[in-house]
Amino acid sequence: MKSRRLGWDALGIAVFVVMVFPVFWMISTAFKPNDQIVSLTPTWLPLHPTLDHFTDAIHRPYFWTDVKNSLIIVCVTVALSIALAFLAAIALARFGFAGRKLFVVLVIGIQMLPQAGLIIPLYVVLARYHQVNTLTGVILTYMTFVLPFSVWTLRGFLLGIPKELEEAAMVDGSTRVGVFLKILLPLMGPGLVATSVFAFITTWNEYIFARILLNDQSKQTVTVWLSYFYGTSRHTDWGALMAASTLTAVPVVVFFLLVQRRIAFGLTQGAVRG
Amino acid sequence: MKRRSIAALLLVTVVAAAVAATTSGATKKANASSITVWLQTDAQSGWADLVASVNQKFQSDHPGTTVNVQYQSWGDHLQKFDATLAGGGGPDVIEMGNTEMTKYMAAGAFADLSSAKGSFDNSANWLKGLAASGVYKNKTYGVPYYAGSRVVTYRSDLFKKAGISKLPTSTAAYAADAQKLMAKSGKKGFSPVYIAGTDWYFAMGFVFDYGGGIAAQISGKWKGLLTTPKSIAGLTAYKNFFATASRASKTTDESHPNPYDVYAQGQAASMIGPSWYTCCVGAKYKGSTSQFVMPGHVAGTSMPGFLGGSDLAVPITSNNKALATDWLKDFTSTSSEKTLQAKGNIPNATNLLGNSINERAASRSWFVPTAKHWVDVENGNILRNMLAQILTGKLSVKQAAQSASDNIASVLNQP
Amino acid sequence: MSEGTSTATAAGTFPLTSRRRRRLWGRVAVPYALIAPVVITIALILGYPLYYLVRLSLQQYGLFELIRHKGIGVGLANYRSVLHDQIFWHTLVRTIVFTAANVVLTMVLGLLVALLLVRVSRPVRLLLSSSLVLVWSMPVVVAVQVWYWMTNFENGVVNYVLTQLHLGSFEQHDWYASTFSQLSMVTLLIVWGALPFVAITLYAALAQVPNDLLEAASVDGAGAWMKFRDITLPILRPILLILTSLSIIWDFGVFTQPYLLIGQSKVTPGNFLMSIYLFEEGYFKSDYGRGAAISLLMLAIVGVLSIVYVRRMVRIGVET
Repeated sequence: MKSRRLGWDALGIAVFVVMVFPVFWMISTAFKPNDQIVSLTPTWLPLHPTLDHFTDAIHRPYFWTDVKNSLIIVCVTVALSIALAFLAAIALARFGFAGRKLFVVLVIGIQMLPQAGLIIPLYVVLARYHQVNTLTGVILTYMTFVLPFSVWTLRGFLLGIPKELEEAAMVDGSTRVGVFLKILLPLMGPGLVATSVFAFITTWNEYIFARILLNDQSKQTVTVWLSYFYGTSRHTDWGALMAASTLTAVPVVVFFLLVQRRIAFGLTQGAVRG
Repeated sequence: MKRRSIAALLLVTVVAAAVAATTSGATKKANASSITVWLQTDAQSGWADLVASVNQKFQSDHPGTTVNVQYQSWGDHLQKFDATLAGGGGPDVIEMGNTEMTKYMAAGAFADLSSAKGSFDNSANWLKGLAASGVYKNKTYGVPYYAGSRVVTYRSDLFKKAGISKLPTSTAAYAADAQKLMAKSGKKGFSPVYIAGTDWYFAMGFVFDYGGGIAAQISGKWKGLLTTPKSIAGLTAYKNFFATASRASKTTDESHPNPYDVYAQGQAASMIGPSWYTCCVGAKYKGSTSQFVMPGHVAGTSMPGFLGGSDLAVPITSNNKALATDWLKDFTSTSSEKTLQAKGNIPNATNLLGNSINERAASRSWFVPTAKHWVDVENGNILRNMLAQILTGKLSVKQAAQSASDNIASVLNQP
Repeated sequence: MSEGTSTATAAGTFPLTSRRRRRLWGRVAVPYALIAPVVITIALILGYPLYYLVRLSLQQYGLFELIRHKGIGVGLANYRSVLHDQIFWHTLVRTIVFTAANVVLTMVLGLLVALLLVRVSRPVRLLLSSSLVLVWSMPVVVAVQVWYWMTNFENGVVNYVLTQLHLGSFEQHDWYASTFSQLSMVTLLIVWGALPFVAITLYAALAQVPNDLLEAASVDGAGAWMKFRDITLPILRPILLILTSLSIIWDFGVFTQPYLLIGQSKVTPGNFLMSIYLFEEGYFKSDYGRGAAISLLMLAIVGVLSIVYVRRMVRIGVET
């Protein structure tokens, strides 16, 4: 048993190395002095690590403001979207109703639209509602992108929960709401978390709509802030860009580390043992 | 009871949406108290203090009006501009690349500044290449902002080691020097002159040096000029020069990789590009780096350099055209242009030209045909593909030029 | 109010008293109330843009018309022009092959990594899942740039490592020389970036597999593969179908990675993908009418491509 576990662990570490290498390259470049960044033979670990790029990045205008904007937009979007999507997913997974097929088509159809084609029409609509250059306009836009796949994904998780469990609880005298709180929600924990993480990352890294909809630098998100590092026609400061990118990845990783235990917890409930 | 709760839910949702829609989160509507200016991030990182001082002067001349500068990226500023043209909320002043202008002028995107032209500083002496990019059907829509040319950045220590005592004054002399440099170094992948194969900004200079051209409009119809004997001579000269001087890829462009990165690794004795390339040659070679003007094929002349640059225009959708024009006057004033010059750019008028390497290179310059569909030629990589075909030998110079010329003519002649 | 049992009167009639009517309506209205917020939000934001897109596709609408907010109605001319365009068809075939390769690789590797996550010890699991999240959280533009660096022919680390491992001489090997090579690089980049989502979602789905069922099967003598096929897979099926359909949709329309990795100067009709074709026709040429037509055609095509999965998904929901 122990040796098999070791075997899996070795494979796990190998996969880890392959997956994380580009990320490692980004982070190590962030610490390298400029001449090591463009050297002919790759420098694996920075020999004389420097924090210059990080201080440069943090001191660029509006860094903290844009981080704050991103956090607001992403947290509101994710919270609202997951809540609304969960309700809709329950309707799809547990109820039969007229127009259900239409709703499914709507949910899937939205995702099939190429986003590039939507830029100008969306801008025109939001301009009409006076939501250009506002955080709410961006939140609403992001919600329309996040809701469909959240509904779709959560429905899938719900379908994996056997109806017998709920029916047994109802027979035992539980109310519908009780079933929801005591059976559905705990079992959906991992699913809700995975979907939230996806929603969080997608909206955190979204660029083009944030760029088009937000004008004032005081309102922009951190991905737009990042674009100032490479949007110039002159030389791009790669060290600073890598440092800035590393900084923007931090909230996502923090968010995941906070919620990942929920997935692991669910796993110990009904885990597959080798 | 359930029906009531559903109704309540629906009502709340609708009200929330309505509230969100009406709380106008300060969409800065253009009104007499502020104008919006779109400049590129180059200004933010290069001369933000100039922008600030111009704004200060403007604001003191127009009390009660503030200037809201929003910095854009080259990659998506036109997408953003298009969206504002469709939905409103656009800028009062916009910086456009000089190759981007014609398409938008032809579509009527800008206000006519012809009547105000005389009031701009040095307008009688605007650089011909730059000013031409802002004119459409004899009306002025764009004000020249600044320009940049191409120069040779080189390692004086390597040149000295190879026994080159005098800088080359003709292309042939430079090619001979390249052979000396190659002999002295001999490292694998080393380029005496690092030029990316499909760098059409540089390669077309040869065509113009020999008196050829890309395309010309004859009685309303565009005709390709790449097949004329002079153009063919120029392209052949480029092919030969590249073969002697550069070990760069024949099919990649001038940002994959960046020439200055290759230079900083010690893999190039010289490179050709904008004068600001000296920023990134690395600490090791900073001291031994200098610049000179690329020589033409006739001894003592310079090769025509591509005059890149930006214009400033007032979108037709602006509600503050008069104020915008005033701001433009302040931003392109003689003192502003002198500041831009000090930062390493070429100012917009001939009477302001100094003697910097950049400006000397601009004495002979060339520019792209001012056609509405020129951007389609660029986006379609027609010239790049032609150069790749010539350098790899896939097609002969004549064949490649023929196909490119026909292609260009058909694209430019679209309605 | 207690949920009373229905009181059927004589001969199966069910008089709808006002109270009963209200309860009936209440029960019926629940699903609509649940989906209402989603429908309203989407309708509010995307309703007009969709109408606008359809209208645009039926007009001649370039930059000139954009500025004047007025297009010229041309009926189906845009669609006809696109469908008669050779480049459209070549691009379509290329994109379908590309999508298939990406989806298969993503799903297979994602499932394998998810199964791996279950079997490793806790510290390695944390390491591996954190690396997945790190990959996932990298901004796409930066990821592309790092990939390009790693694979560039001048001094890329991939060439260096491959040469050091004596797998042949990869010095100055240009990974972007041919269309196949370019799209392979793009595929690797996209699969690498998409793996985390699939792996983590499947890992979460594996949590729903009841442990006791598996233990009972072990006791009965079932091997690992049988347990996977008969117990795990059926439970995972809905999620697998969802992820596959989502992957098809996303990989068909992917834009940023291919456009930035191949580079604007090397993108030609010979290596177009559908989204790049849309971008070039709609945005670069400012032919918004044509761009709208292409968008709607892409919508229809993706719909057709994923219909098999979608139908199966919908049917699963109905069966339970």
